[in-house]
Amino acid sequence: MALIKLAYKQIIDASAQGKFERSVLQASYQEFLLKMQTYNPNREFKTFTALKVHDGRANSLHYKLSFAVGHFIQTLDNKIPGLSDNLGNPVKFEIPQFELIESHINDISSHKVAITYTTGILTLVNQLAEFMVLAEGDVSEKFVADTFILKMQQGLSITSYQEYQPESLFKDTFQQV
Amino acid sequence: MERKSFLRTFAVAAAAGPLLIEACKKDSTSTQTDSTTTTTTSTNGTTCTTTPTETEGPYPYVGGEITNPLNRADVTGGQTGVPLAVNFLVVNVNDNCNVVTGARVDIWHCNKDGYYSGYANQPGLLGSKSYVGETWLRGYLLTDSSGLAKFTTIYPGWYGGRATHIHMEVFVNSVLKKVSQLTFSETISDAVHVSTLYATHGVNPIRNANDSVFGDSATDLALETLALTGSVSAGYSGTFTLGVAL
Repeated sequence: MALIKLAYKQIIDASAQGKFERSVLQASYQEFLLKMQTYNPNREFKTFTALKVHDGRANSLHYKLSFAVGHFIQTLDNKIPGLSDNLGNPVKFEIPQFELIESHINDISSHKVAITYTTGILTLVNQLAEFMVLAEGDVSEKFVADTFILKMQQGLSITSYQEYQPESLFKDTFQQV
Repeated sequence: MERKSFLRTFAVAAAAGPLLIEACKKDSTSTQTDSTTTTTTSTNGTTCTTTPTETEGPYPYVGGEITNPLNRADVTGGQTGVPLAVNFLVVNVNDNCNVVTGARVDIWHCNKDGYYSGYANQPGLLGSKSYVGETWLRGYLLTDSSGLAKFTTIYPGWYGGRATHIHMEVFVNSVLKKVSQLTFSETISDAVHVSTLYATHGVNPIRNANDSVFGDSATDLALETLALTGSVSAGYSGTFTLGVAL
């Protein structure tokens, strides 16, 4: 048993179909066109990659663009889009992080962003092959808990891991020392 | 507006309007321009009217019914502090200082404790803080018919190494025309920073004249200092003139 946090990375590019994805793509691109000008006054650099090489401060565009899409992320109601458990229920996230992967000042089809959704603390109760038996929060001290099963998949990662150590074990160890 | 409602409104308008999609054949007898309403009669007797051009509306938010949440006059977003009303007057220095309407003015600044929304792992008074996903004390407005963008916010606190300040950017027709910062009279900043909500942090040790941004030119500093009226209890207000060369 362990306490973990999961992160799921959603890539959004020109192929996006859903309303949320299209909104994020459009809003972040419009904001890119505005905010990149600070680092590209003569429109000399066409891509975000070229812009970063020219001026490292362009990395702040990750943050600046994130402000323009924050409202759309709020509409998700903390449910990670595209990730559900084996019963089809959404997995909840606590922290969204926006990232500008690439863009082009003349071509929205080159615009590509990612949102990494990180969950709160989950208890990893067990692992069955590529399936994780999870419970929301820390249930390590409980005898009974509600659980769900999630398949390890592309774009999903464990970003925090704390092996469960029973409180009694801590006490015994402490007393021996 | 709900999307359904929006679509319903559109449908009604379309039905009521003189839209003759059958018309505008290539054998029309007169030309038309986009900027004027021109009615054309074709050789076969049908007529058509150029559809008036209107603003694109609340985009870039696809769906149309959602306005960019950062487009707001009150940027406070739940942050506590001494109230501050800042009006930005955008003027064109190449046009007799006439006001510029429809300019987008973006502002952002730190909260009373010296942290910015949206950023992760910021060092500061309260230790390392992450406010990713939050947008308080950020926003933008388009200048009105008087050239004014009127924001409501709180008096900024400060963080190590910088004088007390507000950031701003000005876009005209989506082109960045100015990036700058403003500061305040130190007398007022000091009074605010020892008041109840800010007292833990106290007076900012970086004075305007010694600041890395404002300190390089006394002339610039004078132009970048926002004159305020008011008090700690009542809040402060002032108008900052943003001159841009168009």
